[in-house]
Amino acid sequence: MNKATADRVKFEFKDVDVERTEHTVNLHVRHEKLAELLKHLKEREGFRHFIDHTCIDFPDKRERFQGIYILYNPDVNERVLVKTWAKDGKLPSIEKLWPCARWAEREAYDMFGVIYDGHENLRRMFMWEGYPYYPLRKDFPMEGPQEVELPSLTELYAGRTEPPSHDFELMHTRVATLEDLERTERSRLKKKAQLVLNWGPLHPGTHGTIWFLFDLDGESVVQSDVILGQLHRGMEKIAENIYYFQFLPYTDRMDYISAICNELAYVNTVEKLLGVEVPQKARYIRTMFAELQRINSHLLWLGTGALDLGALTVFLYAFREREKIMDIIEGNAGFRLTSAFLRIGGVHYDLAEGTLDVVKAFIKDFPQRLREYHNLLTRNRIWLRRTKDIGIISREDVFNYGLSGPVARASGVPYDLRKLEPYAAYDELDFDIPVGEVGDVYDRYLVRMEEMVQSLRIVEQCVAKLEKLPKSAPYVNKEHPAVMAPKEDVFMDLEDMVKNFRIVVHGEDAPPGEVYAGGENPRGELGFYIYSVSGSKPYRLRIRSGALYNLSIFPKLIEGRTIADAIALLGSLDPVVGETDR
Amino acid sequence: MVNSNGFVLTTVDELLSWGRRNALWPLTIGLACCAIEMMHAAASRFDLDRLGVIFRASPRQADLLIVAGTVVNKVAPMLKLLWEQMPDPKWCITMGGCASAGGPFPTYSTLQGMDRIIPVDVYIPGCPPHPQGLIYGILQLQKKIKEKGVKKYDKAFNDFRKDIQRQGLIPREIEV
Repeated sequence: MNKATADRVKFEFKDVDVERTEHTVNLHVRHEKLAELLKHLKEREGFRHFIDHTCIDFPDKRERFQGIYILYNPDVNERVLVKTWAKDGKLPSIEKLWPCARWAEREAYDMFGVIYDGHENLRRMFMWEGYPYYPLRKDFPMEGPQEVELPSLTELYAGRTEPPSHDFELMHTRVATLEDLERTERSRLKKKAQLVLNWGPLHPGTHGTIWFLFDLDGESVVQSDVILGQLHRGMEKIAENIYYFQFLPYTDRMDYISAICNELAYVNTVEKLLGVEVPQKARYIRTMFAELQRINSHLLWLGTGALDLGALTVFLYAFREREKIMDIIEGNAGFRLTSAFLRIGGVHYDLAEGTLDVVKAFIKDFPQRLREYHNLLTRNRIWLRRTKDIGIISREDVFNYGLSGPVARASGVPYDLRKLEPYAAYDELDFDIPVGEVGDVYDRYLVRMEEMVQSLRIVEQCVAKLEKLPKSAPYVNKEHPAVMAPKEDVFMDLEDMVKNFRIVVHGEDAPPGEVYAGGENPRGELGFYIYSVSGSKPYRLRIRSGALYNLSIFPKLIEGRTIADAIALLGSLDPVVGETDR
Repeated sequence: MVNSNGFVLTTVDELLSWGRRNALWPLTIGLACCAIEMMHAAASRFDLDRLGVIFRASPRQADLLIVAGTVVNKVAPMLKLLWEQMPDPKWCITMGGCASAGGPFPTYSTLQGMDRIIPVDVYIPGCPPHPQGLIYGILQLQKKIKEKGVKKYDKAFNDFRKDIQRQGLIPREIEV
């Protein structure tokens, strides 16, 4: 935040503190002035783009909950954090300013029990109605209270064997009942029209387990709501309880289609916090694999999106290419889908022998395959009818709903963190950002198709660069005290072994501070906000999910349209439940 | 076996079991990461169709439930409902660590193993398992059906009948 803006804010709001930490700019404001300050920032200072809102629990402090709002100014490419203390466990709702804040507030209510004054329908976001606890509070154990007896039916039917067929605890956390779910459903939507239709949660078209409620008048949707949490696994709670490096495999399982991109975003944030430099070779390997993963992810979107609209051929074709990319990843990382390939300070393995040759073969082959997809879809009359002029997102809505990724770019907003806040090796590479004009489903399709071409360009440049680098170049910055040495050194060198042992047992020693950094994922900006009070575990790790915010505009877009459009629309927003629910 | 007149002789049980194990129709449900590998198993390279495994969108047409992904406490009753909607005989495969035993998520919101709510026939380890792993699991299930038939349901049915009698819902005289 530049000085002029800070001065203006200071002038307008006398008691606002501007705090500049190493990685962030924080505005501390009193609870009463919060809405006013945010309005000022949005309308006068250009901080239009809503990035995230969350809370932190400090059980020892008098006010206990601190609310944090992350905003972005697209004109000058700056972020600001606004912090405020809740009063009597209450914060004002800002859904009038940014409609997507409604979901973030629901989540904070669900996880912390913070009440938002003026929220239109403050309900549980992920857990069901009637769940009595607030899981992200510091006094709540990660495993949850064990209160119901749930024996393993395998043992119950087969009888206990010696040795036992498996090891399990008899007691279990509370499980929802069908009545709970019905209560959840009813609390969300007051019926206005003829009939409420449930779509999902276990439906092939919902891309996972999203639960949609449509209030229908005939075939057109009058109002709708989305119930999430059918894959809420408590990632943020886990992160608070384990070391920084241990959380890396969990990021794979968030947006499981683009695992390496997630890792890159996470590793990038932690490296900022710990102050780790990454060797050049590792940066290029990271970039190459992240872009391969992006192609992989877009191919899955293409295949399933087309399958939802009835085009089975595209699905089979796209999966053919996906298998090739997964083989490349498996050959290098040892795992197909959730690869856990990156490490803090580098990558886990050096390039395997022949990797670059395989990638080169893929680069040569892929443009022809892309042409095949274009031939199948781009001028297909059915495809055009189903996608053109459906779900048009305006530029203002991109900022109001906190959209990012291809969804934002299809509406003409060139918001791409690879250019704006370059990480890995993106600042040294040459690539373009495709943007759309209309912002409908068809534009989102075209943008993603063009992104694959651009990703291929990046991969090509990375291959050229990696070929020039010597084989002996380091791929992990093992000089840094918080970075684990690569495996082959650990087995040969006593010092490295001792260091690894120390990190594995005690974790990395992070300095106190806070950092927000994001990565440009195939599903939008995946951000990590880490609040550290020194030690080896984060005090709070907030995951800003691009898919969640992209989905938050769905109820608005579907209003007045038919159910058939819902499928095309959801496919174009492309959420992944692992990331929306975390 | 084929006799001299060209007839195939078999028992009804074997014929039924042959038919059942070679046309396992799973329900199309994807919960998390494992669902992607399940899709890969069904797509062009691994092609589950050649094992007679064809995904069905309705539980009424399915006889196999592949639980692919993390089952959380909120989704558990829905899965149980779907399981109850499937006609007998039916089988269940848990794919991956989460569905089998909670996997890497020992948290407040995750069900620690699908076998807490429905009986499981085959557990496939992995996070997620390869498509080959899923295919191996299906082959194991086929083997199990071949060896054991559907007898386990006799036991479950007897238990159920005893339960009902104990609760006094069926008078003893009408017992068949």
